Amino acid sequence: MPAFRMMTIDLSTGRSEITDVSDLFAEYLGGTAVASKLLGEVPPDVGPHAPEAPIIFAIGPFSSIYPVATKTVALFRSPLNGQLGESHAGGRLALALYGAGIHVLRFVGKAPQLSYVVIEGDQVAIKRACSLQGMSALATERCLRDREDSDYKRSIVRIGPAGERGSPFAAVTVDASRHFGRLGLGAVMGGKNLKAFVVTGGHYWKLENKAAYNVFYKKIYDTVVKSPTMRKYHELGTPVNVLPLNKIHGLPTRNFSQGSFEGAAGISGEHFADKHLSQQIACAHCQVGCIHMATLREQFSAEEHHYKTFKVSYDHELVFAWGSNLSISSSDDLLALLLVCEKQGWDSISMGVTLAWAVDAFIHGFIGPKETDGLILDFGDAATYKKVLKRIIAGHNEFYRDLEQGSAYCSRKYGGGDYAIAFGNNEAAGYVTGLHAFLGYATGVRHSHLDSAGYSADQSYLQQPKTDEELTKGIYKEAVWRMIPNSLVVCLFARNVYAKEIILEGLNALGFTGWTEDRLMSLARRAHAMKNRYRIDRGFKWSELKLPGRLLRTATSTGHLTNERFAAEVARYQGLAEADIKEFAL
Amino acid sequence: MAKLLRVLEREHCIGCYSCMQACSRTWFSALTCEKAALRVRNYTGVEGAFSIRVCYGCPNPDCAAACQTGALTARPGGGITFDPKKCAKCGDCARACVPKALQWDYEHNQPIPCRQCGVCVQFCPNGVLGMIDPDAPVTEATAKPAAVPAPTAAPAPAPAATPTKEAR
Repeated sequence: MPAFRMMTIDLSTGRSEITDVSDLFAEYLGGTAVASKLLGEVPPDVGPHAPEAPIIFAIGPFSSIYPVATKTVALFRSPLNGQLGESHAGGRLALALYGAGIHVLRFVGKAPQLSYVVIEGDQVAIKRACSLQGMSALATERCLRDREDSDYKRSIVRIGPAGERGSPFAAVTVDASRHFGRLGLGAVMGGKNLKAFVVTGGHYWKLENKAAYNVFYKKIYDTVVKSPTMRKYHELGTPVNVLPLNKIHGLPTRNFSQGSFEGAAGISGEHFADKHLSQQIACAHCQVGCIHMATLREQFSAEEHHYKTFKVSYDHELVFAWGSNLSISSSDDLLALLLVCEKQGWDSISMGVTLAWAVDAFIHGFIGPKETDGLILDFGDAATYKKVLKRIIAGHNEFYRDLEQGSAYCSRKYGGGDYAIAFGNNEAAGYVTGLHAFLGYATGVRHSHLDSAGYSADQSYLQQPKTDEELTKGIYKEAVWRMIPNSLVVCLFARNVYAKEIILEGLNALGFTGWTEDRLMSLARRAHAMKNRYRIDRGFKWSELKLPGRLLRTATSTGHLTNERFAAEVARYQGLAEADIKEFAL
Repeated sequence: MAKLLRVLEREHCIGCYSCMQACSRTWFSALTCEKAALRVRNYTGVEGAFSIRVCYGCPNPDCAAACQTGALTARPGGGITFDPKKCAKCGDCARACVPKALQWDYEHNQPIPCRQCGVCVQFCPNGVLGMIDPDAPVTEATAKPAAVPAPTAAPAPAPAATPTKEAR
């Protein structure tokens, strides 16, 4: 039976330790469930930036073993809301952790100066990185790739200047433009003086049951390569959603005031493919290749023929946050803004939606030229947005320094709370499809569209109307089930490839017997309840979940919303969550 | 003429490593990409360009010429045969391969010769790799994947020694 190991690195003392956690994986499967168990052991009085607060990276029993099991889960206490911080990233990190022979990587403590860590198998080196201070997330990768050679595949994980500054929505960048984007892991790394880490190693599991494994592998491989549902992620990628969402008035436009954007054609998946798409690339061991790389060529000297060309990745969330939601219909402008985000290492959704708040706050008089030091903020003004970003980076004045604290923080300080489209301080993702998209953001354990896919429930309503109760129970069920793919850890794009019986077959082929459908479901409910317990113990209150005022006036795909409907469904969701907490005696 | 492995469409590569996984598990029963007799090399950052280094089965291989012990020898029809019993584990062979196509097994400290079996081709989702008759003009028909023979015995394990990083 393959073993699972955890590496703990104490950045304060420089010590590292490896422990066998096979029992933990036998009980909790892996990934998010294992990490939730470990994070839950940290006392609630340990704040997000306390040195003893851990960052926990976890992979699972399928990681690097089966196709599309590409993600690494990160759990931490979020500096954005003080509650559960959870974010997932692809790239080569899962492969590299597996190669290092570790399924859980835990950082605690705080390095005495800016540092980076090299993990090669069991060997750990903590090295000074003061010469990387202020370096962009992209340049940091280039430098470390040069400096830290390896015999094996590597993963390079790092923060940009935003993480060093402690922006609570700073992201962590993994390899070629994958991210632990949401909830501020970058700020936690920055607080620990951890600029980057490199993981590599030549460890592997021996293939014991070759016949069963090969049959199962081929079945999954063929499904991934041939299935039409996976093909869409490769072809146009998630921006394939832009035009259909726009058609049903579900594409957030001008800070969520509308669901349709007159300039959608200029930022659609089709437009990006025609004009910018240079290639699709994949996370390690994914045959889909959903990462869409855009190329933008710019002339930077009008007098001479001097050009620059850069590549930046794009997807639906980035297109909405820096396109329709800011009324930007030029894909060139959109990509140029995205590149700034990439270099700084901000979560692109949070920075874009916070900028949209600033525009609304300016238009409605909560802030003015005094705060912006003369800049006039309006929708659709990409040139001014570039200036705003430059001023944030430079820490131009208090207002600009505040902007990278997020829309919830800013609206508490300057007013305009109606226009801060955030749930649990986490800026909303790219859907105004109706009640259940927002209910999902609000109730989700990580306030993410990926918690329960409420936007999908709204769209199903358009096909076949259901009651609010039916849809709420549906998204709760989905939120619970997603604990299993997130524990294996497979990419959620492939969630339909890994159905229950397929998962059991895959576990059996590796010798992990004893799992049943009932046991998987029980673990899913338990892991989900553990996360709710965690955040409730750290200040989360169902009663504080509110719709931002703006959203009460927006015509969504499924009509206008009311506070009463929202509150009723929050209460229903709360009832379901509390029943699970009670059942598992958490 | 025996078919040999070729990179047909480098620009189609998405960097999924399925080819390397297939080679490692087929010949070493190893669930990893690190035992493969080919490499998909990454380059820095978001640029996302890949370089695929496969054994081209040279008629006069530099790796065999560099081998002082006769462990690596040229094979009729292209490529090499490897006798692990004769291997001095010096790494000269891997260093001699200009495109760095000959891989090194750091666990057993010896080269990983490509068998030209084509299993990597079967697990490439985008037609990057193909088995072709090098003497025939490349057409769509000749670029189709070949059948994979059953693996013969994997190279014998050898005592660990200091890996030769330059070999990669």
